[in-house]
Amino acid sequence: MSGPEAQPETRPALPTAPPLTVPTLAAPPLALYLHFPWCVRKCPYCDFNSHTLHGQLPQQHYLDALVADMAAQAPLAGGREISSIFMGGGTPSLFAPEAIGRLLEALRQLVPFQPQAEITLEANPGTIERGRFAEYRAAGITRVSLGAQSFASAQLERLGRIHSSDDTRTAAAELHAAGLANFNLDLMYALPDQDLAGALEDVRAALALKPAHLSHYQLTLEPGTLFGALPPAGLPDEDLAALMQQHCQSEIAAGGYRQYEVSAYARDGAGCAHNLNYWNFGDYFGVGAGAHGKLTDQAHGTIGRTQREREPRRYLASGAQAPLALRDIPDADLPFEFMMNGLRLVDGVTSARFESRTGLPWSTVATQLTSLEARGLVERNSEYWRASTLGQRFLNDVIAAFLPPGPASAQSRGQGADRKNPEGPGA
Amino acid sequence: MQFIRNFSIIAHVDHGKSTLADRLIQLCGGLEEREMQAQVLDSMDLERERGITIKAQSVTLFYNSQAGQRYQLNLIDTPGHVDFSYEVSRSLAACDGALLVVDASQGVEAQSVANCHTAVEQGLEVLPVINKIDLPSADPVRVAAEIEEIIGISAEHAARVSAKTGEGVAELLEAIVLRIPPPKGDPQAPLQALIIDSWFDNYVGVVSLVRVMNGTLRQGEKLRMMSTGRSHGVDKLGRFTPRSVALPELGAGEVGFVIAGIREIDGAPVGDTITHDSRPCGAPLPGFKQVQPRVFAGLFPINSEDYESFRDALAKLRLNDSALHYEPEASTALGFGFRCGFLGLLHMDIVQERLEREYQLELISSAPTVVYEVVCTDGKVLHVDSPAKLPAPDRIEEVREPIITANILVPPDYVGAVLGLCSEKRGAQKKMQFLGTQVALQYQLPLAEVVLDFFDRLKSVSRGYASFDYEFSHFQAAPLVKLDVLINGDKVDALALIIHRDSAYQRARELVDKMQELIPRQMFEVAVQAAIGSHVIARATVKALRKNVLAKCYGGDITRKKKLLEKQKEGKKRMKQVGQVEIPQEAFLAVLKVGRK
Repeated sequence: MSGPEAQPETRPALPTAPPLTVPTLAAPPLALYLHFPWCVRKCPYCDFNSHTLHGQLPQQHYLDALVADMAAQAPLAGGREISSIFMGGGTPSLFAPEAIGRLLEALRQLVPFQPQAEITLEANPGTIERGRFAEYRAAGITRVSLGAQSFASAQLERLGRIHSSDDTRTAAAELHAAGLANFNLDLMYALPDQDLAGALEDVRAALALKPAHLSHYQLTLEPGTLFGALPPAGLPDEDLAALMQQHCQSEIAAGGYRQYEVSAYARDGAGCAHNLNYWNFGDYFGVGAGAHGKLTDQAHGTIGRTQREREPRRYLASGAQAPLALRDIPDADLPFEFMMNGLRLVDGVTSARFESRTGLPWSTVATQLTSLEARGLVERNSEYWRASTLGQRFLNDVIAAFLPPGPASAQSRGQGADRKNPEGPGA
Repeated sequence: MQFIRNFSIIAHVDHGKSTLADRLIQLCGGLEEREMQAQVLDSMDLERERGITIKAQSVTLFYNSQAGQRYQLNLIDTPGHVDFSYEVSRSLAACDGALLVVDASQGVEAQSVANCHTAVEQGLEVLPVINKIDLPSADPVRVAAEIEEIIGISAEHAARVSAKTGEGVAELLEAIVLRIPPPKGDPQAPLQALIIDSWFDNYVGVVSLVRVMNGTLRQGEKLRMMSTGRSHGVDKLGRFTPRSVALPELGAGEVGFVIAGIREIDGAPVGDTITHDSRPCGAPLPGFKQVQPRVFAGLFPINSEDYESFRDALAKLRLNDSALHYEPEASTALGFGFRCGFLGLLHMDIVQERLEREYQLELISSAPTVVYEVVCTDGKVLHVDSPAKLPAPDRIEEVREPIITANILVPPDYVGAVLGLCSEKRGAQKKMQFLGTQVALQYQLPLAEVVLDFFDRLKSVSRGYASFDYEFSHFQAAPLVKLDVLINGDKVDALALIIHRDSAYQRARELVDKMQELIPRQMFEVAVQAAIGSHVIARATVKALRKNVLAKCYGGDITRKKKLLEKQKEGKKRMKQVGQVEIPQEAFLAVLKVGRK
């Protein structure tokens, strides 16, 4: 839907005039993602690097590997402190609180953390975690992301979850009691045989637990998953799924949560700092099996991506210590990668951030933005450009406008390991 | 001349013509085994994939008979499709005999019947060859009976061969020299050479395959083309064995190639007569005609920047394809492109595919249309090859549409269905004949109906058993109207159609329904309307898409997400934007798909 509309001359000037010189690539905030690849059971919709745990959890062995991995990467921090940490999986809460505490201490020795750094732990509302949240907090965890997914027992069963809705309620109560009120609930909609009322009931049940943050996703059938190969029967059609989203959005807003990203809602000030860093095209270390990182090399004016060995056994054997390979993002891909992240945010992007995080002049994307604006897909004020209400619904069409032209773009770099979706329904 | 044999192979697609030709070449030592590339005669990749030969090529072989005599065998290839009946007739005119190759399990098909009748009419000795006798389903006795009943030639001495295994091919070679007569012709008479085929070579210009009927053609002589009256010096003569071999002369009865510095394919049209400039023959050989395109469609590059390269590509294809016509066309919906004329739908498919494959062009085509004869109120007669060129209704006295004569062969079980189809397509039955295992039908049908989807429908109602051949018959007046299609209120010129008034409402309904199916849901609702003049007679709505957004995106691998979006974008590139609406190629051809489930 790319319209070749002519641009009227009378449009207001761009928020920032194109600079005369090439902007300077700044060193953005630096976060840390830690991946824990094991689960008690792999869920049929999950496309993350997670593996069913057979036998004993190699807890100490894996912690040692993570520390070695961090040590190998630490020189690339370039003097920056860690702004946030996210422990995703798999199921990181399979690791005991004291183990997590030891890990954080060891990592802090390698790269200092900012004093108020948000440190999130992904957890299941199951029996393993019961009674341990206070200990996790004592170990340094400041935020928990809980994979609730649904409150309907039939749905939980079909989704392959090993917890019940009562488990979720108990976990939420324990989090509040443990002083970890800053927690997220993951919730999915457009589930098999779900109707609008069912989707709304799930939202109400989640809000009743007073989380600080809610991630509300449409169930997506990903390639390489059981659901991808054998889609479950009774999935709501596209129109019903859209209707569910619309009604749930209103319901969540009425509960006092502000939507700040396609699928993320938060009470005031409780937005996930770690994910905001992704969407704002910040840097992050990717430490752990299959973890992806993104690092800016100010000296060379390049931005590179890293990826660790995906298979846990191989990661443990040697992958963690392997020299870190940085694949530079070609300049042609930077606008797309920036916009793909930034326009997911309700508050959109600023020209200043684009220039400092990509090192490219704003004029690189100005044509696409004005064309999208003419089609009503993006809007702007004096500070930002963001997806309009229409553009939020058709965000793929919006960001596709920034894909590099020609077949060169088809040769995407890298492959394989999809990083664990940190707030996603993966645990 | 006594030891020359000129012959063609007549066969339905897939009945094994090329395989048999390869086997003959091999047995006569034309190519060593290791040089044999399967199906030598089909040179273009495209032909190999489709299993049809588009341009005729020939090969000269030398065969030592059992009686110890050396023979020159000229195998003249014929194109194997209904669109190329004129080329077939010219190939046959160069021959004294033909092998009718029939698949031993599938039996006789309409196209072979038509070509065989042409051969018999031209006085050729037709040798029936029942091929694929190695197949378990082979039934040579039934097929022999079919040949006698349907084609009306004796199959008593039909050769039974397997071109694949080579069985019976040696005997067939012997039958060729014994039963096909030698060419007639007077070496002393003024030169008459028939152009069987011409093609363009980048280095030497036009190469013509000719059969010398009378006289002798020599290197260095000055020739005259009878159709153009132009003179050319002979640069090179020779024959294909199948490698090209230069010769000082080609005598009466012989087949070979001539290169005479001709730069344009129209300078040496198929069927033309070549004579000597100094001693011209009295009259050209009979049967020459300029081929007329019968089916027209607009072809447009999806990217408007490709217009120039599209024009160059058409010019290059045209070098080798005199049947291809084109002229610039500007469409408000599709931009700048060309109105192209083709012999038929297959020809159109082939040209479009070659443009896309060999020239890397991405094209969108409007629905094919036939050429109408329009009598205006002022007495003028126009030939209208595009709905857009149809004059306003008050200026039209009469619209005449092209009518074809169709020959159909179908097993009795499916006759009812085929009759129903022909009547739905406004056909008039001329003949119906029960011939044992098959029924021969002859119909007069409007070409426009055939162009739409007749062939596919015929195959589908007869489960693939019916076969079909046609030739142009005449123009005939009919109540035809222009049907406009509007997308979100805007008339889309490339979607307009000329249709019969009696079926207008039904066609319009089916058309908008089909388009609704084919146009993907977009950000906005899309209204599809069909109208005659200002009168909307059918409407359908494509509901708006609700959303297109990835639910999740974090710091992990973005490769897959990027690929997904690239795929979406690629899909849209195959569509043409009309106003705000993106319309896929299939929707422009929706009219061809109407009535199919």
